[in-house]
Amino acid sequence: MPAIFTVDPHTGVPIYLQLIEQVKRSVALGVLAPGERLPTVKQLAIDLTINPNTVARAYRELERDGVIETNVGRGSFVSHNGASARAAGALSLVASSAVDAAVREAKSMGLKRTQVRELFAQALERWYAPDEPKEHKNS
Amino acid sequence: MTVELEAPAIDIRSLAKSYGDTLAVNNLSVEIPKGSIFGLLGTNGAGKTTTFKCALGLARATSGQVMFGGYPLAPPMFESISYMPERPALYEWMTGAQHIECARRTFANFDLPRALELANLFSLDLRKRVRTLSKGQQSAMALTLAFATHPNILVLDEPSSGLDPLHQRHVLDLMIDAAAGGATVLFSSHQIGQVERAADRVAILHRGELVLQGVVEDIKAQEKIVEATFDGDAPRFSELDANPNVRRVMRQGRLIRAYIRGAGDGVVAVIQAASPTSVRVLDQNLEDIFLVAVGGN
Repeated sequence: MPAIFTVDPHTGVPIYLQLIEQVKRSVALGVLAPGERLPTVKQLAIDLTINPNTVARAYRELERDGVIETNVGRGSFVSHNGASARAAGALSLVASSAVDAAVREAKSMGLKRTQVRELFAQALERWYAPDEPKEHKNS
Repeated sequence: MTVELEAPAIDIRSLAKSYGDTLAVNNLSVEIPKGSIFGLLGTNGAGKTTTFKCALGLARATSGQVMFGGYPLAPPMFESISYMPERPALYEWMTGAQHIECARRTFANFDLPRALELANLFSLDLRKRVRTLSKGQQSAMALTLAFATHPNILVLDEPSSGLDPLHQRHVLDLMIDAAAGGATVLFSSHQIGQVERAADRVAILHRGELVLQGVVEDIKAQEKIVEATFDGDAPRFSELDANPNVRRVMRQGRLIRAYIRGAGDGVVAVIQAASPTSVRVLDQNLEDIFLVAVGGN
């Protein structure tokens, strides 16, 4: 099985956080369905060439967040109970912090409020079709 | 959460080694838990090789102790420890096949099919004499012998030196596979990218002194840069020099950069009070952190 996740070890962002975000994203988008089995810690560590303890740490946190469940001896699975909703909630946090970072960056470059608003209007124009409602739910 | 009750696989306690007047390693203490991959970083002459040699009893420590699983090194442990020195300890006149045969007779747990598989992985021609092998191929030969005994502890001194990028990746895969199976790996490398990938823990040595150690992911989460720009020349902040969490401050014209440890709120607040035109907190990768730790530039 080709690795469904990718990480960039050469950034300042801890690898386990990158993994957590990707698993949550996959669950929220339905790429990983409830009940689906995740690669074992060892398999994922070898596929991504990263430390097994790092993968184990990501899995532990995902378990704590209720996104996955681990059965000793059987492996880790995407949770049935509302995992996708919780993951979607986590994703909107990711989105909000990305928007926050973009605005902070624009401000630090000395842009005025109206200029930032204009940039946002342009970005919305580019990514959202004119008739599409601006909020839509993933099932 | 699992609780660590087990003794560390390797426990280096207050290790010191001097050669004449030169202090090669000074008061080094690191614990390497079972199943971890521990990367030792440092510039040339930082004391990495000396640390390995003292740990394995190949050089006599001036002071300090090294324990393996809670016990001092003893002959029965030799079977389960593999050491790959910086310059592979191979016989120039012997072929790869002869080295494998020799190791098979020496080590009870030597796995011959595994050795042949590893030699193949590294594209080694076992009929060749070591003398005719390139530096990279000699490293590959030493790695083949080191991994073929399924050791519990691997001590690898620059294991991928001379290897091409594909074979370097194989070395990382072997270390990761071994650690996933419960083995402990202690290795040194100048390629910080490799340490960043494979190691869960790292120690940075500089001129024999330990300057930073910990879990790689935690270090990355802690070490940040606060960068600010001003309309005119960046002011001096005496508060920052006094702050123990500020590793160093760099001023250049309108720009100021503080290398900090932990949450930067305090530092940001201090800088913000001087009304800068911008302030931002930046992440650092392991290479940045290494360069700051060893005081480059």
